[in-house]
Amino acid sequence: MIDCLEFRRRAGAEPFTADTDVAAHRQGCPACARHQDELRAMDGVIRQALAVDPARPATPTEVTAGATRRRFFAIAASLVAGAAVGVVLLVGAPRASIAREVIGHVEHEPGAMDATAPLAPAALAEALQPDGARLHPGAGDVTFAARCIFDGHVVPHLVVQTPQGPVTVLMLRHRTLDEPLHLSESGYEGVVLPAPRGSIAIVGEGIADIDGVARTVFESVDWGS
Amino acid sequence: MNRAGGETDRRRRFGRLCESLRPDLLRFAWWLGRDRGLAEDVVQESLLRAWKSFDSLEDEGKARSWLLTIVRRELARSFEKKRPELTDVDALVAAESAVLAAPGDERVEEMRAAIFRLEEEYREPLVLQVLLGYSTKEIADLMGMQQGAVLTRLFRARARLRQQMGLAAEPEP
Repeated sequence: MIDCLEFRRRAGAEPFTADTDVAAHRQGCPACARHQDELRAMDGVIRQALAVDPARPATPTEVTAGATRRRFFAIAASLVAGAAVGVVLLVGAPRASIAREVIGHVEHEPGAMDATAPLAPAALAEALQPDGARLHPGAGDVTFAARCIFDGHVVPHLVVQTPQGPVTVLMLRHRTLDEPLHLSESGYEGVVLPAPRGSIAIVGEGIADIDGVARTVFESVDWGS
Repeated sequence: MNRAGGETDRRRRFGRLCESLRPDLLRFAWWLGRDRGLAEDVVQESLLRAWKSFDSLEDEGKARSWLLTIVRRELARSFEKKRPELTDVDALVAAESAVLAAPGDERVEEMRAAIFRLEEEYREPLVLQVLLGYSTKEIADLMGMQQGAVLTRLFRARARLRQQMGLAAEPEP
């Protein structure tokens, strides 16, 4: 049988302990039982207090400050399907950063562009459903769909076979833009468009009318409620 | 399964782990580092390291502990590089006010601030126990400590919080 001091030591470390000695002492000591109840109630408050969400979207000011303060690189890595892990230098303003990140991600997933067979609807849904999005027919066959880590967030990554050639589509719910951003780098042409939820990047090689292709893809996306 | 198929499967499995565990990793890193930018950087770097050594993970059921260990190491590396000799907690509170002001009643907010101000040696086991649901044995393994030392830290963590919340630290039996 443990004494009150030992009971409080154990209950103070583990308020919900299943220790039989603690349970036995509790039965015979109302004061210690009350103390344990208090500790348990406090743990409920602690649990609520700890359940923060540090991943909430940053304000534009924070994004700007963050880009210059802390990050010189970001990992543009696909970890779901067909990707190698890459590191992309992030220098300059956020607009330049997103362009580099998008191109970097595409460059590190060369295998994604190789597939030519249309994906089964279930495979496409698996990539889009966690974001509550869908893709209507019209933009072209989807030959690659995965959820990739981009800028520290898991995002849908698609390859759509458009009449002008395959394009990579990244749905970036966590990145907001005020206006379209055009990308032209390393032979890639692309555009990042503001979307109902964040933004969407459409990138391809040798696409004559990337704006037209991007518009078609954009209009095919159902962003969900 | 051919080589390409195996690689795709490997990436898919890792991606799923990342997706499901990242929120916990980020919370853990934030409560330890008390800086949202640092937490995001640390988790990102940790996932990169994890990806590189994913083959060493024999049991995916232990992925969370494995990743938490990597995050702890990465945090330690970050602290070695740039932790100031003295930490101005008030400045940290101000800098992280947006996260600290997450939804919750007044009591919860008060508790959040109290936990934020706890010394790291008490904050870490408390986060592992209450937020992530680890047993004291698991915490001891993760932190490389004796179980008795973990119990002491947890006891002291709650005692300090009781004190900060205006409750008697050691009520009479």
